[in-house]
Amino acid sequence: MKILLYTILICLFLIACGTAKRGEPAYAPVHASEPAIAQGQVVFNTFCTKCHPGGEAGLGPSFNDKPLPGFLMRFQIRNGLGVMPAFKEEVISDNDLDNLIAYIKTLRKAKNDKAVQAP
Amino acid sequence: MQLLFRSAILLLILVSVAGCYRMRSSNGGAQGTNLITDRPLNAADIELPVGYKAEVIASDLTFPTDVAFDNAGQVYVIEAGYSYGEEFLEPKLIRIAPDGNKTIVATGEKNGPWTGITYHNRNFYVAEGGQKKGGRILKITADGTITVLVENLPSLGDHHTNGPVAGPDGKLYFGIGTATNSGVVGPDNYDMGWLKRNPDFHDIPCQDITVTGQNFTSTHPETNQTITTGAYQPYGTAVKEGQVIQGALPCSGSVLRIDADGGNMELVAWGFRNPFGLAFAPGGNLFVTDNGYDERGSRSVWGVGDYLWQVQQGQWYGWPDFAGGLAFNGDRFETPSKEAPKPLLTQHPNKPPHPAATLGVHSSSNGLDFSTSASFGHPGEAFIAQFGDMAPNVGKVLAPVGFKVVRVNVANGVVTDFAVNKGKKNAPASMLKTGGLERPVAVKFSPDGTALYIIDFGVMHVKDGKTTPLKNTGVIWKVTRNTR
Repeated sequence: MKILLYTILICLFLIACGTAKRGEPAYAPVHASEPAIAQGQVVFNTFCTKCHPGGEAGLGPSFNDKPLPGFLMRFQIRNGLGVMPAFKEEVISDNDLDNLIAYIKTLRKAKNDKAVQAP
Repeated sequence: MQLLFRSAILLLILVSVAGCYRMRSSNGGAQGTNLITDRPLNAADIELPVGYKAEVIASDLTFPTDVAFDNAGQVYVIEAGYSYGEEFLEPKLIRIAPDGNKTIVATGEKNGPWTGITYHNRNFYVAEGGQKKGGRILKITADGTITVLVENLPSLGDHHTNGPVAGPDGKLYFGIGTATNSGVVGPDNYDMGWLKRNPDFHDIPCQDITVTGQNFTSTHPETNQTITTGAYQPYGTAVKEGQVIQGALPCSGSVLRIDADGGNMELVAWGFRNPFGLAFAPGGNLFVTDNGYDERGSRSVWGVGDYLWQVQQGQWYGWPDFAGGLAFNGDRFETPSKEAPKPLLTQHPNKPPHPAATLGVHSSSNGLDFSTSASFGHPGEAFIAQFGDMAPNVGKVLAPVGFKVVRVNVANGVVTDFAVNKGKKNAPASMLKTGGLERPVAVKFSPDGTALYIIDFGVMHVKDGKTTPLKNTGVIWKVTRNTR
């Protein structure tokens, strides 16, 4: 029961404190030199960005300000939620899903610091 | 373990409620736009990558849609002469002097919008949208003489005649948008204004097609009668299962080409919805931007992005039964709380290709051009102007979409913002109360590739189904690179 209570409190805190981030060029670019993150970026642009442009809100809500743990992001992508459709294994493979989660986590870490941008 | 699972579900439910699509009202950029006639301009309000700067080179324009450059590098802009909101004016070709002074070179008929211009073989070629008399391709000489090369193009509806662009073969390539959102004429077209003017207008396929026989009922906006309409038919005409609809040329949702003298019209590809921006990549391949379906009308389609396509000769790209290469199979694209769209065609000409890139739902990704200069940066990438959403007319969005310029790596479909307004959120400048971008409708590189011109259509507001564009709020921005 305590776990349930803590979950509710943590969740409410996360929802309340989330601040939507902007993408590049307002924030630093995602350096996709790591192959998994580069592939995750391609998966993101194929399936996610049309409703969540750059992770910001659009047709759907933003998620670059929602610190969901990886396993919950995975659950939501595989099963859908509300009007968001499910993306099954035949659409996004397990390997691509791993890459996508890695990319989203990297995206969320982007800082509002133009000094670190590559020219 | 069971408790952990329950907690995870609860967490998801709470996050879902916080961002629940159904419970939230639309919060798009069109509805949030402020109708400011004296538009402030401040290039510093535009966020660009480090090393780039923006400046205003012309302002107080009325519905500008594109620019071209003559052999001397002189800048010319076209004013559309028509805007959604049923604003009819005379379209114009205007020369912009280096000091920003304007000289009218040519004035067209009230048959806009002039959607695009290209300079080729010492002449200007313009796509005339054709909202009153049908689409045209015009040739305009340096002294302002206008010659009609092609006329009566079927673009009297929702979308217009677009382009043109000169190909490596010397031919002129242009696009024709569809009459309707998804193949069925309905009250939404009445709201757009054209159905009252042209009650018999409808979509035309490029080849013979056979329809499944679906019909759609709606209430006539004036008579309140129940009207039954089938695909590719005038409002009030039903279809039967297995009925063959004859194809024709010119046709809806197509890319066509003609010789530079207007002759020898040929089909390049079809199955687009609104092929707005056309450009050849440095390697010679043709790319086109395509505005995706809206959540409106008798056959509403939900959750469809805009697309960048690499155009292949003779291919069908999916309209009205596919979106972004995915079929309407009942699993996707249903408007929340409504029925999913079903196929209108019994057989499809081919399986549509995959898009080169997927862009934001309702972003209205329009004019595009390719960087060719290492000096400017990103050579080989496509730059696309995103006009921005028209919510809630086109459907609900939770935040403004578009209102910026993006660049696309066409090799892998990765989209990155290039020019976007500063602020805590993305939105048109009038909504943010800043002096930045309002509605970028096209982008074009200077002939030497070192400057990117952003054509900013100006202020356009949507409220209670009414679209209000503001004259004299259009701007041409120029982006250059200072440091490397």
